[in-house]
Amino acid sequence: MNESMLCTKTHEYVLEQGDKYEIGITDYAIEQLGDIVFVELPEVGSEFTKNEAFATVESVKAASEVYMPISGKVVEVNEAIVNSPELLNDETAEDKWFIKIESSADQVEFADLMDYSDYKEEVEG
Amino acid sequence: MTKQTFLHDKHVALGARMVDFAGWDMPVQYTSIIEEHKTVREAVGLFDVSHMGEIIVYGDDALPFLNKLVPQDIKKLTDLKAVYCQLTNKKGGIIDDLIIYKLEDNKYLIIANASRIDEDLNWMVRNKCGFDVSIVNESHNYSLLAVQGPKACDLIRSLGVEDLPPFFTIKRGELFNINVWISRTGYTGEDGVEILVRNEFSEYLWDKLLEAGKPFGIKPIGLGARDTLRLEAALHLYGNDLDENTTPVEAGLAWSVSKTKTEDYNGKKVINEQLEHGVSKKLIGLKMLDKNIARHGYEVYYNNNKAGIITSGGISPIRGDNIALAYIKNLDNLSVGSTIQVMIRDKLHDAEVVKRPFVPKNNKVNI
Repeated sequence: MNESMLCTKTHEYVLEQGDKYEIGITDYAIEQLGDIVFVELPEVGSEFTKNEAFATVESVKAASEVYMPISGKVVEVNEAIVNSPELLNDETAEDKWFIKIESSADQVEFADLMDYSDYKEEVEG
Repeated sequence: MTKQTFLHDKHVALGARMVDFAGWDMPVQYTSIIEEHKTVREAVGLFDVSHMGEIIVYGDDALPFLNKLVPQDIKKLTDLKAVYCQLTNKKGGIIDDLIIYKLEDNKYLIIANASRIDEDLNWMVRNKCGFDVSIVNESHNYSLLAVQGPKACDLIRSLGVEDLPPFFTIKRGELFNINVWISRTGYTGEDGVEILVRNEFSEYLWDKLLEAGKPFGIKPIGLGARDTLRLEAALHLYGNDLDENTTPVEAGLAWSVSKTKTEDYNGKKVINEQLEHGVSKKLIGLKMLDKNIARHGYEVYYNNNKAGIITSGGISPIRGDNIALAYIKNLDNLSVGSTIQVMIRDKLHDAEVVKRPFVPKNNKVNI
């Protein structure tokens, strides 16, 4: 995982990439879910506010919502994980991001996000 | 306080993810639910199901007592034979589903669901009046290990048990010089055995089975795969597919109900009426026609009208699609092949009514 990403308590990450942000779920979340068998992503162009559910990820056991770490408009979705959800469990696979967004989120929206190192410490105790 | 089986340390040492199940801290998976599922369909898996209950019923009236409690005819059991039963209330609703073994005259063993042991015992005691019978909860003394899969019986035979009991039969045996009960039963749709062993020997037996099972491809299997395996085999899960407001007939278990039993039993009136005149709700099997997964509690629609509810649903690792069990209103024009809809996150998704089991069973071989 990229050290410069910011994480939520609900196990999403956001990573700044030029004028866009990449959003996905953390490796810890993937490990906790176990075998991932279904991913549903929003349509390009849809807009979400911070903390709003934008995607669904299902393990064998249960369905979980994925929430926006910051507000924004979807400009790209990762169809590969929709077509092959098991890619998320593949440790050698790259590109496990969910969506890319354009965002004009201000500092307030970033205030409750954790550095990856702090997040890791929190989940691993 | 969460309970632990005597194999708890073994699960933790194997790296299992532990979850609460019916008040027990149990392994949900060791590596991957899908991998574990395939191990059981292709080779052999070892399950710790020690959370399940063992109840001994004995005494001069053990037979008439049990015959009052279940729609099955316990008279027909010969020594060491078992029967799949439902403990029914006065309305025919299912308090628990059980396996009852006849150990000998006037002595029976009941295997009960972990979550229902207390209700079962309460119900039995309430029905005990007038019967010369003793009910003993032995659950805290015994561990239960399930060995399941196409290689399960080869493994057990390789350990010196020449004559495996036939399907739904139990026998006393010895494994690694430990006295055990070996039953030809399971909850996976595969051939295999369930081994009842006193707690003090369960860790030793677990280790020995994993070691001796290596050439057969054995792996420990968690409750996650146990659930996907039983769903593919369309075996009911108490609390999901069965409850006190559902009768065996509604649950698609009429095949298990005795049609010739003359004795009265709790719920007989309702059950007989349903056998004769049909039911207003029934259990069906579904396969999803897209990638969406139907889960417990999701609503089912037919021609845009609410028609029922999903009671169990998930992926089928063997079929590669998503399957479910649902209760639906008895609609005349609905049959295998019909398309109905499941409401998933506020959208209707097509599903097809299919036959149960979803995957052919491979366990009725009496070799």
